[in-house]
Amino acid sequence: MDYRIEVEKLNVYFDELHILKDVSLKINKNMVTALIGPSGCGKSTFIRTLNRMNDLIDTFRKEGKVLLDGEDIYDPKVDVVDLRKRVGMVFQKPNPFPKSIFDNVAYGLKVHGIKDKDIIEEKVEDSLKAAALWDEVKDKLDKSAMGLSGGQQQRLCIARTIAVEPEVILMDEPCSALDPISTTKIEDLIHRLKKDYTIIIVTHNMQQATRVSKYTAFFLNGEIIESGPTDKIFIEPCDKRTEDYITGRFG
Amino acid sequence: MKKRYPRILFQKRLKELRDDLEEMGETTLKAYKKAMITLFDYDEELVKNVIKTGEEIDKLNYNLEHKTMSIIAAEQPVAKDLRFIESSLKVGSHLKRMSLLAANIAEVARHIKDEQIPEKPMDDIKNMAEIVENMVSKSITSFLNQDMDIARELHREDDKVDDLFDTALNDITKSMFDEKDAIYYMVYLLFVARFLERIADRAESIGDRTIFMITCEKP
Repeated sequence: MDYRIEVEKLNVYFDELHILKDVSLKINKNMVTALIGPSGCGKSTFIRTLNRMNDLIDTFRKEGKVLLDGEDIYDPKVDVVDLRKRVGMVFQKPNPFPKSIFDNVAYGLKVHGIKDKDIIEEKVEDSLKAAALWDEVKDKLDKSAMGLSGGQQQRLCIARTIAVEPEVILMDEPCSALDPISTTKIEDLIHRLKKDYTIIIVTHNMQQATRVSKYTAFFLNGEIIESGPTDKIFIEPCDKRTEDYITGRFG
Repeated sequence: MKKRYPRILFQKRLKELRDDLEEMGETTLKAYKKAMITLFDYDEELVKNVIKTGEEIDKLNYNLEHKTMSIIAAEQPVAKDLRFIESSLKVGSHLKRMSLLAANIAEVARHIKDEQIPEKPMDDIKNMAEIVENMVSKSITSFLNQDMDIARELHREDDKVDDLFDTALNDITKSMFDEKDAIYYMVYLLFVARFLERIADRAESIGDRTIFMITCEKP
């Protein structure tokens, strides 16, 4: 199997707090992997470790390895800005910059040194099309992104992420602030994006996990209790704790 | 102290589903017993009763289907809950079919009530009926109690019923050869043997469904 990310015996601490415990997980290329588990179980910490977002927290400390295409992303030689270009992230609440729609998508390209206007325009259009937003915004690209609906803002953030052509897209509950129609659009988008990108999605919505992902990992108290094909996890999980969580029997 | 789970309403609805199937199972078993009684000792009231029960079970099965759809839509069940619900639908439809087969047997009783059926084929039917009754009862118990041991026994018993069916077929055919006038009612008896064999198959299927529900594997 061709793995994009391999996590080996990852332990994460914030001060003395042991957040992730011996987490090992292999993420397949061009596949959607869902991370599920109750609040505070370490899912978000886990994905934030995958593009070194936790580095921004002083008390963060980790043991174990995180390999992207076989290379350790915590190697001192790794350029973090470059890493975050390769591993993009979409957050729970849409967070467009208070700029025009065009500038939001062009931002990453400019940060990464692309100056040619034609190239930028072409990439902005391609990204907005890939994010299924182009038709809705093509006539108002110079308007503020803040004027878009929540669902449109989230698709704009996805367009912004894919503009820099990452290998991996991390999504931390990308639909939890959206209405069902917008959620459907994002899920459709995930289906279309997976052929080009490796996607890891944190979700509290079990049905969403079953709909969008091929592979699922269940986190509990900082550990991965069970991981495997999504169908297997949701139809015949091996571990009683997984069964209890997904069937809502956690007291 | 018993652990309290969230989704109490969901648990209640699953329990209701189980209760409905228990009721359907008991009603089907009763109908089957009555059908066999009236076959050997004709009673028009019993015949009517069994036929009516078949129609009732059909309605109960519709209600069960509505309930399961409503649970799936509202609760979006997964894992063992999903497997239970899926199995409930199948078991409901097996029970419906069993009760309709019981009604078919009761109808045959009407046709042969005045005939002098030879002893041998009648004994074959009696032997089959006894095992089948046991199978119907066991199938319902195995599903409701999620008992795989009982479910597995049904396989062996179905084999016995199949063998007895072959015996009955031979004996019935022989009676037909012996007395041409008997063909008219012996054909009905052959139907009964077939109906019993079908009921046994349904009972076995409920057992298989139970095993699949628990293990997620084809028995």
